[in-house]
Amino acid sequence: MAAPTPFPRPADGSFVERGDGCLVGRFKAMASPCEVLVDTDDPHEAALALRTAETEAQRIEAKFSRYRPDNIVHKINHAGGEPVAVDAETAQLLDFAASCYEMSGGLFDITSGALRRAWTFDGGTRVPEPRALRNLLEHIGWDKVRWDGAAIAMPEGMEIDLGGFGKEYAVDRAAALVRAEVPRAILVNFGGDLVASGPKRDGRLWSVGIEDPDHPGTSALYRIEIETGGIATSGDARRFVLWGGKRLGHILNPRTGWPVEGGPRSVTVLASTCLEAGTLATLAQLAGRGARAFLEAQGARYWTV
Amino acid sequence: MQLGPTGPATIRGKLGAAACMLLASVAPAVARADPSGAVTQVDGTLLLYGEQSRTKVAEPTVRVTRLQPSGRSLSGQVVLDVMTGATPTGAMPPGVVDSTAALPPDEAPRVQTMTAASGGGGGGGSEHVPGPGDIPLAQFHDTRVALDAEWHEPITNIFGSTLGGYYSREKDYESVGASGKLSLDFLHKLTTLTLGGGVNRDHVFPSGGTPLPLSDGTVLHDERNAKDVTSALVGLSRVITRRWLISVNGSRTYEDGYLTEPYKVVSLIDPATGYTTGQITEGRPSTRQRTDVMTTMVYHFTSDVLHLSHRYYWDDWGVRSNTIDLKLRHDTGDSSFLQPHLRYYNQSQADFFTFGLVQGEPVPTYATSDYRLGPLSTATVGLTYGFHVPEQPGEFTIRAEYILQFGKGHPDTAMGVQQDFDLMPPVNIGSLVAGYSVAF
Repeated sequence: MAAPTPFPRPADGSFVERGDGCLVGRFKAMASPCEVLVDTDDPHEAALALRTAETEAQRIEAKFSRYRPDNIVHKINHAGGEPVAVDAETAQLLDFAASCYEMSGGLFDITSGALRRAWTFDGGTRVPEPRALRNLLEHIGWDKVRWDGAAIAMPEGMEIDLGGFGKEYAVDRAAALVRAEVPRAILVNFGGDLVASGPKRDGRLWSVGIEDPDHPGTSALYRIEIETGGIATSGDARRFVLWGGKRLGHILNPRTGWPVEGGPRSVTVLASTCLEAGTLATLAQLAGRGARAFLEAQGARYWTV
Repeated sequence: MQLGPTGPATIRGKLGAAACMLLASVAPAVARADPSGAVTQVDGTLLLYGEQSRTKVAEPTVRVTRLQPSGRSLSGQVVLDVMTGATPTGAMPPGVVDSTAALPPDEAPRVQTMTAASGGGGGGGSEHVPGPGDIPLAQFHDTRVALDAEWHEPITNIFGSTLGGYYSREKDYESVGASGKLSLDFLHKLTTLTLGGGVNRDHVFPSGGTPLPLSDGTVLHDERNAKDVTSALVGLSRVITRRWLISVNGSRTYEDGYLTEPYKVVSLIDPATGYTTGQITEGRPSTRQRTDVMTTMVYHFTSDVLHLSHRYYWDDWGVRSNTIDLKLRHDTGDSSFLQPHLRYYNQSQADFFTFGLVQGEPVPTYATSDYRLGPLSTATVGLTYGFHVPEQPGEFTIRAEYILQFGKGHPDTAMGVQQDFDLMPPVNIGSLVAGYSVAF
């Protein structure tokens, strides 16, 4: 960053440093770099914000990561067709997933995660065998899931993955908790999905750059200025496969098992929460060449690459 | 396709005009044919062209011409273009700089954090950090090979014909063409009427497929896109006095097919702030009718030759342009000359040219932000030096030119932060041509 770190770095890898007009707490969670920007000069406030956000990120990751052997998602995915009763927070997330499925006409589907394992988006030319895809598709479809608002049951071999909006949910949750602890304008950013809560003391807006997918980590293509609101970006031009002379991106249609064609390389949406922004961005990507029309119809503020 | 207003036909048969034209020519001198036999002339040039921070071109050319005593001539030319560098994408300046760059905080609008599809929020070094007002560029590299052949046949002593063929190929473009020209001398051979025409069949095959116009870049298909070019010209040249020649040439060209630039984009902007919010591919009409009228005057002083021309161009895309070109050839001895050169070019923008579109507003039928269809001007200053090495055959020429390309980069329609930027920043261009011409 612009200035050398003025604060000692603790051993766990999270630390506070001076950012551009604010203090920034940094840590790693959900396999992403995370940061909390705090409109303050007091490092104690920044450290408190950092601790609060980090704790919440770790809690959500532990509870909902598909990769943990001890959480509710694991339990649901390994219930062998039996119903699993869930707590209130999980129920809310499943309700949200059900609405997304409905709103998208079945394109946004938390049971479609297995498809991603069939595809290797490494810029090569390999596509899955049609047979393998057919077998996978048999185990995909929220319509095969029984969800009554308290317990979930799904056929054996199916699995859910809340990764499609888990990070965005964590951002909104962490921001709410940080705001309760630290009475300052803040911005919480987990791996590029963020929410800001202003206004800042000097009246200036938070300034957010949209990363250039061709030069990750180095340059901003576009700039967004906000006081309050959530911003999320979906899509990654670096992840694609070449097939039939076409470049297929990594957004998969859960009904065909094939990548959605014709969408923008990446979509960034500004909405009132990070969860809303992230979901709109993902739905736009699933609309393929209709992405822009979809976003216009939603009245969303958006940026495309 | 060479459909130039001058050629051996207009030079032959008119001694006064011939001297005038020959001396005025920038190209190496035409061979002095031995009346008893055929002459072979070889012209070789090397062009080096460079735009500051943008395109660089190296272009060697070889032309071989066989002139028969009858006036018949055959010529063949090979051109190789090696192009590299960066060219504007059409996008507007983003109005933003990266927060990770070590710039003074108050110098420019900065971002405090980043949104990204994956990762994000991270820092990292950067070789080149674009400034907020920098015109976005795309790197490219291409090589073009062009071949053409021309056959000139005097049919009677007042009537001549020229036929030509052309082929060129580069990574994503192919062109095949043929042209023909008839010339007729009358009024005591002091007046020449030229009629000509040409056809070209070009193909464009963008790497990565042809994008849907005015879209996010959706690939439409992988096939070749055809572009047909038909042209006709009529020219009249007249020797007014022994020292003074005037010619007027008009040409009309009709293009039909894929005329869009597949790699160029148009920015979408947020009207409140002027920051760019996205970009779409450009889209142009599929036909274009171009017309130009060029008037040339050559005046032969006692030893110096003045060459003055004006060209007016218009097309149905709304582009109008004027070119004024002035050269003065001054002999600096028996075997050398100096020729200063001034040129000014100015064009109006195409009807569908725009620096950017407002996000959320309906997208027009056609749109481009290609600066070559924008409100563009160039001013050129050059100097040519030609000389013979004593006791050696052939003539050497060296031409150096400085070109300033500029435009109206502060449109009234600029919004927000874009008002602070020059959307057509001046570009310094240098060009150097070395040529050698020999006949035997």
